[in-house]
Amino acid sequence: MKAFKLENEPKRTTGFKTPEHYFDDFSARVLQQVNDKQEVKVIPIYKRKRVLSLFAAAVMVIGLMIPIVNNYTNTSKDLDEDTLETYLSYQSNLNQYDLIKELDTKDIDKLNKGVALEQETLEDILASNPNIENLISE
Amino acid sequence: MTDEKEFIQELLNPKTQNTAFQKLLSDYQKPLYSHIRNIVLNHDDADDVLQNTFVKVFQYLKNFKGESKLFSWMYRIATNEALTFLNQKAKLSGVTSEALQNKTIDNLKADVYFDGDEIQIKLQKAIVTLPEKQRLVFKMKYFEELKYEEIAEILGTSVGALKASYHHAVKKIEIYVTSN
Repeated sequence: MKAFKLENEPKRTTGFKTPEHYFDDFSARVLQQVNDKQEVKVIPIYKRKRVLSLFAAAVMVIGLMIPIVNNYTNTSKDLDEDTLETYLSYQSNLNQYDLIKELDTKDIDKLNKGVALEQETLEDILASNPNIENLISE
Repeated sequence: MTDEKEFIQELLNPKTQNTAFQKLLSDYQKPLYSHIRNIVLNHDDADDVLQNTFVKVFQYLKNFKGESKLFSWMYRIATNEALTFLNQKAKLSGVTSEALQNKTIDNLKADVYFDGDEIQIKLQKAIVTLPEKQRLVFKMKYFEELKYEEIAEILGTSVGALKASYHHAVKKIEIYVTSN
């Protein structure tokens, strides 16, 4: 068999053809496609990123404000001890007996635990207090 | 080169864009069609890929830095589009790109947009046996008659490497055609 040598052969083409008038309207078809794509509103990714970062910043600011807001609401609603004492001392309607009446067994137990006095301290208080009789009678 | 820079500016300027893009289309539609058709082998596929190529050229023009010629940049886009298209089509059919091309070549006789003879079909069959790079180099040099310098710029390789690729491709094709 004779060896095939490309350089000795006549130049070959691909043999590919295009449909008649194919290129006549090709430009118009591409331009149509390009215009269609331009009409579709494209949101650039950098703008979306900007919106996301603004949103994240807003969330952070709100997050940081929560403890401050909490603190503000707490102070406005809860009374601290000093205010309560001042209120009670100026409230002439309340006397020692009224307060005692409000105490239940649990509160008395708590008070007993809270006032854990040594025997000696107690003796000292009783010895130095001139109104000891009043205290005993109460 | 200055002319090309001016032309690129016209393509980027919204006022002159349409006219400039029409000129780009009329200058390049035929050579790019041939280039793509040589890769995908079938007219309908070449039509799809050519349209996509020009749409991408239009979209990415603003990113074109002018480091290479407009001609080679467009050929590069067309080559990538054609190869990607072939690979995706082969993947969808569950075959390799080479098997898909062989099937297309087998159907060439019945293709209304092919008027080649037996030798031309055999030549196409021989080309499919080549590695992808040699296949591209052979088609661009032999059929499209591009200069080595132009192919080097499109494919991003040296002229020396291209000459070696072409030489190997010719040898393999000659062996294939002789023995088949």
